[in-house]
Amino acid sequence: MMPELDSPKEARRKQRVRVVVVIGACAATASAAVDGSRFHASWYWAPWVLGLTAIVVFTGVAMAISGDLPRRRGRGSGSLRASGRDDVGPAAVAAYRCRTLVLVSRMMPGPAGRRWLAEAESLLSEITAARRGRAIRSYLLSAPRLVLMMWAQEALRRVRPGPRRPR
Amino acid sequence: MAMRLTVQVQLVLQALLRDPAKEMYGLELSEETGLQPGTAYPILLRLEHEGWVTSRWEDVDPRAEKRPARRYYRLTAGGAVEASAALAGARRPKGAALRRLAGRGVA
Repeated sequence: MMPELDSPKEARRKQRVRVVVVIGACAATASAAVDGSRFHASWYWAPWVLGLTAIVVFTGVAMAISGDLPRRRGRGSGSLRASGRDDVGPAAVAAYRCRTLVLVSRMMPGPAGRRWLAEAESLLSEITAARRGRAIRSYLLSAPRLVLMMWAQEALRRVRPGPRRPR
Repeated sequence: MAMRLTVQVQLVLQALLRDPAKEMYGLELSEETGLQPGTAYPILLRLEHEGWVTSRWEDVDPRAEKRPARRYYRLTAGGAVEASAALAGARRPKGAALRRLAGRGVA
């Protein structure tokens, strides 16, 4: 059976709760580390055990579901976004995320960058770890030319009158 | 503007022309041509921009499949004709690229 999915709003609310819990746990643990004397000797272990457990569990959960969270980018009403050309595919389950690729994708025009990133993540999630490094390198090596090509296409599209070519 | 038929472009077109009705996704194309995915992607983008290739996102539930959706590429009817004509007039791929294809009984 398919798990019931949270609405984007609910998912964001849960994410905020997790962040607050982790910050609270970090604060409690740090407090115990800096000034353990405020706790009764027999309870000295409590902030350590509970704090560290909370940090590990909530950080783990946040990392595990981070790919499922709705993304903020692309939800605005700018001219590119409003034109209905966001083509990042079905709600992404990003099994593999490379921070460098995310950064590079942001140098590309919005929809084109999101599509490039979605395709790269889709492919990288299906190959073995041994081949992943070479694949990422190839994406990064071709990125500068691709960025120029995409911006050139984007500029032409904006200049040209008439209906836009769907992606 | 005419499509510049580099060896890499020829490899991609040959892979797509093997069965023009068949849709292929990035990894499949990459394995078929021996090109790195980062090399194949700009080529596919250019082919799509020229109208030779069309693409779509796979219609699957990523949670059920336990993997992200794939982007499938296929030659358009016009693209298949133009690609065949272009390949017929193009210089054949040489060296490692040709040997790789020959190993698959294609060249």
